[in-house]
Amino acid sequence: MTHYLHQRLLLLVPTLFGALTLVFVLIHLIPGDPVEVMLGETATAADKEELRRNLGFDQPLSAQYGSFLIKLAAGDLGRSLYEQASVAEIIRARLPATLQLALSAMIAAILISFPLAVLAAVRRNSWVDRLALLLSLLGLSMPNFWLGPLLMIVFSIQLGWAPVSGRGGLSHLFLPALTLALGMAAIVIRILRASLLQVMHEDYVQTARAKGLSEQRVWLKHTLRNALVSTLTIMSLQFGNLLAGSLITETIFSWPGIGRLTVQAIQTRDYPLVQGCVLVIAISYVLVNFFTDLLYKLVDPRVAYDK
Amino acid sequence: MPGRSHSFLAQVLIVPILLLAGCRSSLTDRPPGYLVVGIESYPLQLDPRYATDANSVRVGNLIYNSLLRADERSQLRPELAETWRMVDDRTYLFDIRKGIKFHNGQPLTAADVKFTYESILDPNNRSPKRGLLRPLQSLEQTGTFQLRFRLTAPHAPFVEQFTLGIVPADSASVATSTQPPLGSGPFMLQAVESGEKVTLKVNSDYWEGKSSLPGLVFKNVPDAIVRVLEFKKGGIDFMQNDLEPDVLPWLRRSTDAAIDAYQGTTFQYIGINLTHPILKHAKVRQALAHAIDRDRMIRHLLKDTATAANSLLSPLNWAYAASAQRWSYDPARAKQLLDEAGFPDPDGDGPLPRFRLSFKTTNIDLRRRIAEALKEQLQQVGIELEIRSYEWGTFFSDVKKGNFHLYSLAWVGVMDPDIFFQIFHSDSAPPNGDNRGRYSNPQIDRLLEQGRMTTDTATRKLIYRRVQEILAEDLPYVPLWWWKNVIVKKPSIQNFTPYPDGDLISLKEASFR
Repeated sequence: MTHYLHQRLLLLVPTLFGALTLVFVLIHLIPGDPVEVMLGETATAADKEELRRNLGFDQPLSAQYGSFLIKLAAGDLGRSLYEQASVAEIIRARLPATLQLALSAMIAAILISFPLAVLAAVRRNSWVDRLALLLSLLGLSMPNFWLGPLLMIVFSIQLGWAPVSGRGGLSHLFLPALTLALGMAAIVIRILRASLLQVMHEDYVQTARAKGLSEQRVWLKHTLRNALVSTLTIMSLQFGNLLAGSLITETIFSWPGIGRLTVQAIQTRDYPLVQGCVLVIAISYVLVNFFTDLLYKLVDPRVAYDK
Repeated sequence: MPGRSHSFLAQVLIVPILLLAGCRSSLTDRPPGYLVVGIESYPLQLDPRYATDANSVRVGNLIYNSLLRADERSQLRPELAETWRMVDDRTYLFDIRKGIKFHNGQPLTAADVKFTYESILDPNNRSPKRGLLRPLQSLEQTGTFQLRFRLTAPHAPFVEQFTLGIVPADSASVATSTQPPLGSGPFMLQAVESGEKVTLKVNSDYWEGKSSLPGLVFKNVPDAIVRVLEFKKGGIDFMQNDLEPDVLPWLRRSTDAAIDAYQGTTFQYIGINLTHPILKHAKVRQALAHAIDRDRMIRHLLKDTATAANSLLSPLNWAYAASAQRWSYDPARAKQLLDEAGFPDPDGDGPLPRFRLSFKTTNIDLRRRIAEALKEQLQQVGIELEIRSYEWGTFFSDVKKGNFHLYSLAWVGVMDPDIFFQIFHSDSAPPNGDNRGRYSNPQIDRLLEQGRMTTDTATRKLIYRRVQEILAEDLPYVPLWWWKNVIVKKPSIQNFTPYPDGDLISLKEASFR
């Protein structure tokens, strides 16, 4: 296990290198020039050339990338081309908002999906099952750019339970977290229900019943736990997406997270900020995968990583 | 044991959220009495030496004073300047008002003005406004409160550069500081929450008198529908522009909003690539102008939030020429012009077009709907339009490179008619200017050079009238409309004066009833 974990941690380096290289090349390939944006319409060609030279944009891409990596190794992500702050400061200001929203959405999704999936599996083909599947279908069909304003109108304008948008106290979290959670819960309900239905016919579940264990214990200890492995995979992927920032939900709810920041940085061709955001997103994905591996072992002790 | 592990799990999951929520000060979106302005994009850079995006400039105008300031009729009036005069056609002498203080109490003198301009001119500071000051030969401080600007040659539009916000001498450049410099304006910076909002508090010692409002919050709500919902809920008191025209009737019905639309200066046009083998024919461009039913688009798509345009300058501009040709909707005449240009319809009313063109636009919903309407209208005269919508960076890069047949964009905040030089002089093709369609007309070049060198306003007016008349005939741009400034505010807000360029400076006089 320890060996495996070390291996996974070591894999972080090539993964991050790959992600950073890919994004560095792509962002420089797409049309658009930050110097044009920085100097505006009135600058002469000579002014633009001078700034390009100052910023090192006249160097070959490989040299620019090398210089970026050297600075990165020293912990320097550079300065935003437009905002009056370093990339690290900007990301540090936005990251808590993304973490907060991602964790809340995840918890809400678990609270919605787990009871519904278990009830649907236990009472298969009953009205509960049909209701769970209907809710799941609805959750999958409703895009966030529609669901978000709908929830705002109901919970904020009509009922007055939550603020419309922005980040503040816990009440501000309610609607964006619910918007994200409903989409996630819809997928988890389907996966978990299917896994539960498959596991409940396994021999070891029958054996547990034959041993005289209570139905609750059979479900919690033998059925749910074994069905969780595939669900964990889906949930970890979704959580990774949430940590990368949910652009649409963040935009609708004026939530100052990493998703909106990344898109804004791409739109203004703020190269250092794009690289910084991608670094954070890549690290998030790798860490989520890493912890998911640990959770597999926790959920199913049979999982062995070392051979 | 299981109980303990469950409670541990709950702590692991819930505590971080509470901690992260705890990072926020409170629910104080709005300190008492503050007026909340909903904005569609976060101001990137408040330092007036660097601010270029509209919201940075508008918020900055409330924090910083300038030598001159445009009033609600776009006329330049003295602000920090007590008096100013042209000594000759390339020298300006300014006397600065005495007793004006920056927000830290430090007096504002000619040294601060000199520093501000020189720091923009310093190439190490990478100010986007450096190019605007190119005509400046020297800047001399002739007294504690007096300074002289000398230009290399007469350059009438330079007076616009006297509207730059003034910062204290020795303010750090944007590359080394983390906060915008202090200002001397009616409001001072209270808090900046990156990506969310900028809060200003009133400057109690403001030299023109303290504002009735204790402060302003500029709240960034990127989604137009959500901005409207925030307004309905009471989270926003004031919004200007960038609203979906479709929501205005709903706002009128379901809220007590005071909604007004005022003539603005933002000019929407269709840009044309004049090097294109079809579009280089003036008659084709005139046919395009006749084929577009502006009034119908304004009525149905824009819900009357614009007025049909005949020139880049709006009727509010001192140099506007009402005599510039207006292209009425006349599809029959458009067809006739296309025939005359040598592009007959190959199959009469059949499906084959006379020719195909591409039309580039951004991926904003309203822009795409405008493009669809244009496509439909041009189809009526036998021109097939292929719509290509891109994200802003890609779109703008293509436009700058001349990689287009037709595109649509807007000019915002036009004040001096010298903008024609930047857009239509043959020396202004990118990267030296914004003549993206590569328009070249020696007569226009001569007139624009004269207009720039002439300092007499009456003579300039005559020059630019001729410029507008020629451009309206030649049609390097097909004018579409001038956007109105649509202001949605709580009825209790009083004493706000709309500015044609959308400036919000009059918020300093506003108050709640």
